[in-house]
Amino acid sequence: MSAAAVKDLIIVGRDAPVWLAASVMQFALAPAGVKVVVIELPSEVAPPDVYATLPALEPLHSRLGIDEGRLVGATQATFSLGKNFIDIAAGGPSFFHPYGSTGARIDNKEFLPNWVKACRFGLPVAFEDFCLTAVAAKQGRMLVPDPDIESYGFTDYAYHLPAIPYAAWLKVLALRRGVAVHEARVINPVLHAEEGAIAAIELDGGRRVAGDFFLDVTGAQSQLLGSALGVSRESSHEEFVADRMLVAFGAPIDPVPIYSEIRACADGWVGLYPSQACTHVVYTYSSELTSDDAALRAATSAARIPLNGAVVRKRQPGRCTFAWERNCVAIGEAAATFDPIHAVELQALQIGLVHLLPLFPVRSEYAVERAEYNQNVRSAFERIRDFQAAHYLLNRYGTGPFWAGARQVPPGDKLRHKIDAFRARGDVVFYEDETFMIDDWQALLIGHGVMPESYDPAIDRTSPDLIKNEFRRILGFIRDKVQEQCTHSFYLQSVCAPAGRNG
Amino acid sequence: VTAALRIVIVGGGSAGWMCAAACAQVLHAERYAITLIESDEIGTVGVGEATLPALKDFNDLLKLDESDFMRQTQGTFKLGIEFRNWDKPGDRYIHPFGSFGQLWGGVEFQHHWMRARALGLDPAPLEEYCCAIRACRRNAFDFPDTKSIRSTFYGYAYHFDAGLYADFLRRWAIARGVRRIEGQVMGVGLNAESGNIEKLTLKSGEQIAGDFFVDCSGFRSLLLGETLKVEWEDWSQWLPCDRAWAVPSERAVDFTPFTRSTAMPGGWIWRIPLQHRTGNGHVFSSRFIGEEQARETLLGALDSAALAEPRLLRFRAGRRAQAWKRNCVGIGLAAGFLEPLESTSLFLIQKAVQDMLRLLPAPETGNHVDARLADEFNRLSDALYERIRDFLILHYVANRRQGEPLWDHVRSYPLPESLRHKLNLFESRGHVPYYKDGFFSRDSWLAVLFGQGVSPKAYDRLADFVPREQLSEKMSDLHERVATHVADMPLHSELVARYCSSSPQLQAAAVP
Repeated sequence: MSAAAVKDLIIVGRDAPVWLAASVMQFALAPAGVKVVVIELPSEVAPPDVYATLPALEPLHSRLGIDEGRLVGATQATFSLGKNFIDIAAGGPSFFHPYGSTGARIDNKEFLPNWVKACRFGLPVAFEDFCLTAVAAKQGRMLVPDPDIESYGFTDYAYHLPAIPYAAWLKVLALRRGVAVHEARVINPVLHAEEGAIAAIELDGGRRVAGDFFLDVTGAQSQLLGSALGVSRESSHEEFVADRMLVAFGAPIDPVPIYSEIRACADGWVGLYPSQACTHVVYTYSSELTSDDAALRAATSAARIPLNGAVVRKRQPGRCTFAWERNCVAIGEAAATFDPIHAVELQALQIGLVHLLPLFPVRSEYAVERAEYNQNVRSAFERIRDFQAAHYLLNRYGTGPFWAGARQVPPGDKLRHKIDAFRARGDVVFYEDETFMIDDWQALLIGHGVMPESYDPAIDRTSPDLIKNEFRRILGFIRDKVQEQCTHSFYLQSVCAPAGRNG
Repeated sequence: VTAALRIVIVGGGSAGWMCAAACAQVLHAERYAITLIESDEIGTVGVGEATLPALKDFNDLLKLDESDFMRQTQGTFKLGIEFRNWDKPGDRYIHPFGSFGQLWGGVEFQHHWMRARALGLDPAPLEEYCCAIRACRRNAFDFPDTKSIRSTFYGYAYHFDAGLYADFLRRWAIARGVRRIEGQVMGVGLNAESGNIEKLTLKSGEQIAGDFFVDCSGFRSLLLGETLKVEWEDWSQWLPCDRAWAVPSERAVDFTPFTRSTAMPGGWIWRIPLQHRTGNGHVFSSRFIGEEQARETLLGALDSAALAEPRLLRFRAGRRAQAWKRNCVGIGLAAGFLEPLESTSLFLIQKAVQDMLRLLPAPETGNHVDARLADEFNRLSDALYERIRDFLILHYVANRRQGEPLWDHVRSYPLPESLRHKLNLFESRGHVPYYKDGFFSRDSWLAVLFGQGVSPKAYDRLADFVPREQLSEKMSDLHERVATHVADMPLHSELVARYCSSSPQLQAAAVP
């Protein structure tokens, strides 16, 4: 058997992203003889920083053998069943984006067209009231899938993970699994004179770490792919005007909510992400419209709790032209900085890793793998961008320049077609490489008031009485099921050890 | 009360009647009125006797009884397609409707198999880890397990007489309220302002008005092509075959649960086993072989006596640039043609019918055309056609039939970039493309890539997690399970006789 094409994989970065990347690569590639070495840069996270994740993180953790209860206990994390979007800017309608499906099939046909039709006949029940996950979330209940629930529909959950303890946890995990680490304050990538690929990383103190393949997890600075290899970064500031993020924390909310709350205010939005120890608050705004001082006042007012430890971060939404160049792949924010609205940071990191694994070099020649990776990751990132762009484009958050401006940004062709087709028929156009599923798109589009003008003609064969009965049955099922669930607080106390050991 | 939307289907072959039947099943009769115009004077092409597993979903949508449907259409089961002589003369491989091996640790089986080979564990040929292929080799068939998978996953399709299938659906649809009009369309009336189709004038002088029109008129493309002037996109630079001779022959001794496709110097020959006869045809390129010689080639290749004179079909590969324009959708040959190498004809019809049903105008909007719905239909249609096209081209391009002008030609032409990339990726590491929309699946690509002799230079090292001894054990265990699974299957001929035999006489054509 031939030796692996890559023997020494060097991962450069910091905080949770670098350790998550290292754990995944070590887990998947150590059997092939790949040695994973992390060059750890100084942390850039502060106590208020939190990862509000999406549901896909749980199966990744599980694959890595992470004990959820211990992780949640040790990091003082909470669970999340979705995001509640509130309008305190214009006082318009709010909506819930749940991590689960809405309704159930009726007469073996989709739920949505039945709901659209019923609304025409005056049904007064909101779409999200047919969602078990959303109803459980609003009542503070943990939702543990059982066979009943699984036969009804799909439900999932995510986490609010405080960034500092999460990174510490992942680091211990990676080191225990055999990842080697060099701590560094300064790095200097050294290129091969002829090929132009990265040969080694020089560290402060005269150290030098050589490798065959490199992951750039250095964040938006992209010190390897961007600075060393000169891959350019495309700005998406035109589409996403927010370029500042203020993070702070306040007192915990009691009882601890099981969802994130996103409050649109006059010149930006505030996200409230509860952990067990505190409430993490993120205020997102545009430096052209709001000063940092004004931002803290706006954040405090919108969060309605006193804020501490505020830190302001600059963000330049955008992405590198290619995530993989020569022998270096940018992962996470080094590849793309997204708008903070749906908290996709770890999701984007995960996409980068999951696409890389089945294309990781197996021979010294890998141009075709690189092309495939760049194409797929770019496409996946564009679909995430579409989801975020739709939130801004469709907002009804008043006439202030932040939100009114967002409504003027022309959507890309794919997003435009998606909104058009949904408005016309309630059909979610589902492209290749979508991260957000049909349920997510339905929640987002209906939440923003895009009401389908017609529905799948097939449902006219179902009798109105049957539809009415099914609606009642679904609402009854949700009511009963939610009552059976324990509260989020109880679940955190009883299932998740308060102080865990890593494992 | 809103008046029903009048849907007028032009043409009564497989496309027309599949469309009419599905409309009758899915739509509410008070909201949609379905009319189909067909002429006994116009023959149908009747291609598509071999199908893909998705056809079962279509029949399920109509709630057809499978054994009854098979009895009435002389149907048999199909587990895949055997390709003979495609890589080079003497070679053969099967493209199965099923998977090779199993996913171990999230890593596709071909990587484990390639690794076993690299480690010198001497695994059996890849096809022996596929239960559908081994069943084909035995001429055996059984229904897939519904509860647990005994060895490897598979599905199945059918071979049947497409003319009988259209007859069957005609009776079925008429019994459910579809109005059939016998007649030939002589004129098409357009609205002067919108350009929408408003009415059709028949030879008898009768006028048929409608709100929405489905063009199932075959190659002629009477509405979409001739009337609405949708351009034809020609794909003959990649798929040069443009003729076929078709001839039925007696039922052969070799009653295969698969279609056979045999490459010939000027094209390829299909062989489709039905209950009462065998369907045969020679698809060829008139640039490389004359019609008469092609006819002789076909007759010489039959493995049973011919039952009729061969019939010549002319076609070209390609499609209409828009399958849905204004208030008209083209379905079947009116929208495009891809040679039946992978039995996609009825699948293309089925998919178009299902997408159209979902996107049909609401009766409230009358004949107002919603471009947003048409755009979505066309997007889906484009993706499907292009992907099937790439998959068909793969069969031609990856050949080693040196010195034969057709095959030398197809080996040398510039490929669509999308296909070139897929080939490179497979050669580099056995990576098989995945996409959500359109056909074909990873297993299909794998079967044809390996079958046509494309050889990966390496395997995915994610497979290395299985310890060597365990790999050897897992491979031989799976091999054994596939073998015993297939050994327990009845012969295809026995199962057909028991389950859906059309003899001793054809069942009276009762409406199901």
